[in-house]
Amino acid sequence: MRDRLTIGIAGTGGDGVVVLGSLLQRLAASQGYFGQMPRYYGPQIRGGASGLKLSLDTTRASLPADTVDIMVCFNWEKYAELRQELPLGTDSIVFYDNAPPEEGISLPEKSFQVGFSEISKELTGKTSAKNIVVLGLLERILALPESLSDSATVHDSALALLERNGPALDAGKRLLPEFAFAELKLSPPKDATPRTVLHGNSAAAQGAIRAGCRTFFGYPITPASEIMEEMQERLNHGNGVFLQAEDEIAAVGLAIGASLTGAKSMTATTGPGLDLMTEMMGLASSAEIPLVIVDVQRCGPATGIPSKSEQSDLNHAIYGGHGDAPRVVLAAYSVKGCYRLAIESFNISEYYQTPVILLTDQRLGQATVATNSDFLTKDYSIARRKRPDGEHREQYRRYELTEDHISPVASAGDEGFIYQTTGLTHNEKGRPSFDFATNQRMHEKRWQKLAPLRDRDELVKLFGKEESGRGIVAYGSSAQFVLETVEDLGLEGQVKVCVPELIHPLPRRLISFVGSLERLLIVEMSHSGQLHRYLRSEVDLPSDTKSYARAGGAAFSREELAGPITELAR
Amino acid sequence: MTKETDYRTEVTPVWCPGCGGFPLLSSLTRTALPDLGIPRHQTLIVSGIGCSSRIPGYVDTYGFNSLHGRAVLIAQGAKLANPELTVVAIGGDGDFFSIGAGHLPHAVRRNVNITCIMVNNFVYALTKGQTSPTTPFLQRGEGPFLSLENYPPVDPVLDMVSYSVSTRASFIAQGIASDVSHLSWLIEEAVKHKGFSFINVLTPCVTFEPPQFFKTIREKASYLKEGEPVELPDSSGQQPWLHDPSNITLALELAQTPVLEKPHIGIIFRGRSV
Repeated sequence: MRDRLTIGIAGTGGDGVVVLGSLLQRLAASQGYFGQMPRYYGPQIRGGASGLKLSLDTTRASLPADTVDIMVCFNWEKYAELRQELPLGTDSIVFYDNAPPEEGISLPEKSFQVGFSEISKELTGKTSAKNIVVLGLLERILALPESLSDSATVHDSALALLERNGPALDAGKRLLPEFAFAELKLSPPKDATPRTVLHGNSAAAQGAIRAGCRTFFGYPITPASEIMEEMQERLNHGNGVFLQAEDEIAAVGLAIGASLTGAKSMTATTGPGLDLMTEMMGLASSAEIPLVIVDVQRCGPATGIPSKSEQSDLNHAIYGGHGDAPRVVLAAYSVKGCYRLAIESFNISEYYQTPVILLTDQRLGQATVATNSDFLTKDYSIARRKRPDGEHREQYRRYELTEDHISPVASAGDEGFIYQTTGLTHNEKGRPSFDFATNQRMHEKRWQKLAPLRDRDELVKLFGKEESGRGIVAYGSSAQFVLETVEDLGLEGQVKVCVPELIHPLPRRLISFVGSLERLLIVEMSHSGQLHRYLRSEVDLPSDTKSYARAGGAAFSREELAGPITELAR
Repeated sequence: MTKETDYRTEVTPVWCPGCGGFPLLSSLTRTALPDLGIPRHQTLIVSGIGCSSRIPGYVDTYGFNSLHGRAVLIAQGAKLANPELTVVAIGGDGDFFSIGAGHLPHAVRRNVNITCIMVNNFVYALTKGQTSPTTPFLQRGEGPFLSLENYPPVDPVLDMVSYSVSTRASFIAQGIASDVSHLSWLIEEAVKHKGFSFINVLTPCVTFEPPQFFKTIREKASYLKEGEPVELPDSSGQQPWLHDPSNITLALELAQTPVLEKPHIGIIFRGRSV
């Protein structure tokens, strides 16, 4: 019996790899199992390599293991393209449809050719139900409850497909006696509460809706498009304004226009789109217009590798654009965080009248996670813009200097508070100003208003023992890999971990964390070590500071991180 | 009721004396906005960057002097989020037809109910006299246009009116800065039209154009009147037809008339309101 295990599936587009993985994940989730399912795909539009890893866990949404326990391969040629991400271990059990090529793939001992396609063809006349045959076999090997497919909570096209293919599913189940690996049975879940299944992109979109965002403008781009699609789904039935713009400049421009009228508005993109939005970010910063941009980071520079994760937009998020244009940068490290921080992004953006960039990444955005749904239903406080009231009427100053540097803001359409604003240096009334002292004061206002954010301790997550003198700083999806590796190595007692969700302005809690260390390791997926450089520019780091930074592509593995983390603990 | 003074802020325009911005400002604040009777707080003027884009600071409605080329985006976003607002985007020929040209056909096909006023002075004036996409293209030897003796435009004009017609904007008009009352009427008609409306305002630049340039345009200006024969330039071999602003084919004919030969002033095309 196992408390967690990892399944890998590889094939070509059309083999039903994703359908198989999704069905298995959702069926298991309906029984109370947790887990994560990152997907791997190549550059082809259709018919390319398609693969995934799926972790099933009885207690929490842990990451898939480096090497899989069970591997299902429909196509060895396509597997070869994905082997960096789906390595086989010597103990992996492999089921495959067609014989592997004679060279290039060395199969582990327990590898079995099973005629999934043949079985499907016999039963349905087509090979396309082969994935369902596999599903039947896997359900049995894992000893998932019998009535699994009947008890699934959500019914949709994928489940309908399953119902139509009952015979294929049963045929798969009947294969069990040949492959009864007792060691692969899953223990019953901690409890049988159905888990919710969603990816970070969906969570970010749902969080935005929860925050009250009803105007969304986007432009398709991998790997952020799912946010746009979900917002389209949710806003298109008279529930708000959704528009697919002609480019990213337009998307962010439309969002700023909507925000001027008081609407909570958002756009979502990745690196190249963020480049195009940069001038507008400066405008929103200068004219103090609330705006939320989600950046689902992918490999750069230029076009990079659109379908793979990286953490190399950090510089751009913090510093991008000309002039000194303060903005807030948040970063989620889990699917739940994508939801919660989408709400937080709006709260900060609205209250502080500033652009907020919420960084996620491809891994976080596109891997589906089966987890507790409590975060979707719990209470979140929702912040509002500071509005002008009667005393401001008829002598309203849009950029009035106040104690907290936040000026009451009227929405275009409000009676009694008409103002004109501009991206030119402006005075308290919003009038263009050529006065250098005014220029200085307005810079101070825009920077100082964000200072209280630095004390938002809850936006910096700390793990491990406070008294440890060894610590790691990591953000985004990399933080998950760091946390699990520390745990796997049993080093929770020696090594503490700091995961900032607020990146800029730099939170004080992160500064104290770093200050408490003799030895620091910064882990990130950026060739130039952007997080390391950022921290170095703002804090005195311990003299014994190491950076583990590399370009994106493959996710971090535990094996890879074990080296630097063990070194840190030594 | 609202008076002209209600519509002017206390800010003194940065424009040169005699600038074509003044007549536009007058037509907005003295006539069009008061006549339309839309409350000031329900009006938003968005501009880009350029001489004419300073205008939101001078009109006491909600206003935003935004980024070069992007006024039409912010205008659409605001209108979509608050349909109660009357939204007007104002910018120059460089703004709308060079840096921001890519946004126009999309604004047209979305047909969001905003009015776009292009203050076309045929030159980049804020940056002191470079060619714009609408700077008349003259062959070398014909004599240079503007103060660009050494570097006359080398690319043909992008004809904004033809462009608007060909993308089928639902309201297209051409006004002239020298006729404030007609321009005011055009603005009112454009604002009242439900759908995307575009007005090209032929405007002098007193600093970077020779005086005869706008004088020629003004003298040749021909007013379009519905049901009356259109005037065609001498170079046209066509027979004049009766102006019918609901006819897109005739509108395209009108739009293709070279502006220096026969500037048509009036409503070129008016499609159905949405």
